Amino acid sequence: MVDDSFDNQLRDAARSYNQPPETPRDEMWAAIAVRRAKKTERPDNTERVITPLRPPRHHLRPLVWPIGIAALLAIGVGLGRITAPRPETAPTLVATVAAPRVNDVAYRVAATEHLSQSESFLTLFRASVSRGGSEQLASATARQLLATNRLLLDSPAASDNRTRLLLQDLELVLAQIAQLSNRPGSADLDLITDGLEDSGVMSRLRTAVPSGTSTTQGVL
Amino acid sequence: MHEQELIGRVLAGDPSAERALYDRHVDRVFRLVYRMAGDMDRAQDYTQETFIRAFEKLSEFRGEAALSTWLGSIAISITLNGLRKVRRTWDREMNLDDGLPTGRMDREAEPDLKERLSRAIDDLPEGYRAVFVMHDVEGYTHQEIATSLGVHPGTSKAQLFRARARLREALADFAKE
Repeated sequence: MVDDSFDNQLRDAARSYNQPPETPRDEMWAAIAVRRAKKTERPDNTERVITPLRPPRHHLRPLVWPIGIAALLAIGVGLGRITAPRPETAPTLVATVAAPRVNDVAYRVAATEHLSQSESFLTLFRASVSRGGSEQLASATARQLLATNRLLLDSPAASDNRTRLLLQDLELVLAQIAQLSNRPGSADLDLITDGLEDSGVMSRLRTAVPSGTSTTQGVL
Repeated sequence: MHEQELIGRVLAGDPSAERALYDRHVDRVFRLVYRMAGDMDRAQDYTQETFIRAFEKLSEFRGEAALSTWLGSIAISITLNGLRKVRRTWDREMNLDDGLPTGRMDREAEPDLKERLSRAIDDLPEGYRAVFVMHDVEGYTHQEIATSLGVHPGTSKAQLFRARARLREALADFAKE
């Protein structure tokens, strides 16, 4: 009885939660018209002005998912070999001093590889979204990348503030793509691609990934 | 005018039909978005984005659910995504500036039930809050909520039950009075 009356009281009080003011219909309609007009103008202008920096890679599309997964496995095996305990054969002093440094470098290499893979994946994902690509496959790849991403977030690779923030933002995007297989065809696709642009994840990935081969490889 | 006819006219490019469709649904969308966002600027932004997206995707609307439910699903998706972004920004700022009090923390220690409830709703996990606001505050059915959030109606009911339980727990001292 007490519970019922309290529930009723709760429901009454809840109606004042974030009480909306009167809807600014005309103001919002005007803004919608402006934003829609801008959206429809943009594609023509960009087509005229922007020249692609990279050659189109559509012919690689069928190969990219398997290559991506294989590369991830290779990173995993590499990390495992580097971090696995080894039999003590060498004098201890040198080994104990050198090991953490090598591990740090290994994590950095792994992070760079992962960010590079993620950049390629997201670039292809955006392209495949506009052409109606396979959401199931993208979702599966995103889950793989997400697993690596979470490992890296818990590793020394995330000790650098900039890398950590990038990995955190990437995690959110990958998690959204990974969930696509549960709700295929939803408006989430657009939200993800818009989110990619809004958060600047793509440009930050490109900045974080050195062009060409990994620059830290020589250190190992 | 019947909704299907209105949609047909919008798809045919009739601007007055677009405005009519907007007028018919904007109040409900804005109310829900405002309840979730609690901020005029964000509520306007998310509402506008909802209709922009809806006009772009209207040709994909199959009529399996009511148009209002379909719009609700777009609105809630945009709003939750937008609020996640805002929260991340807050988290980063808090990391840089640990210990700085926010406006909410400045509230009086003994607020009335409405204020305490408001704070308790804010503190609910995202999914619980969405279901609670949609059902208990805005009067959506579990079927509508389930379609909007992409979950089973049973999940919506369970989340509402848990949300209410949490609120009761948070406001236990009021219940005893």
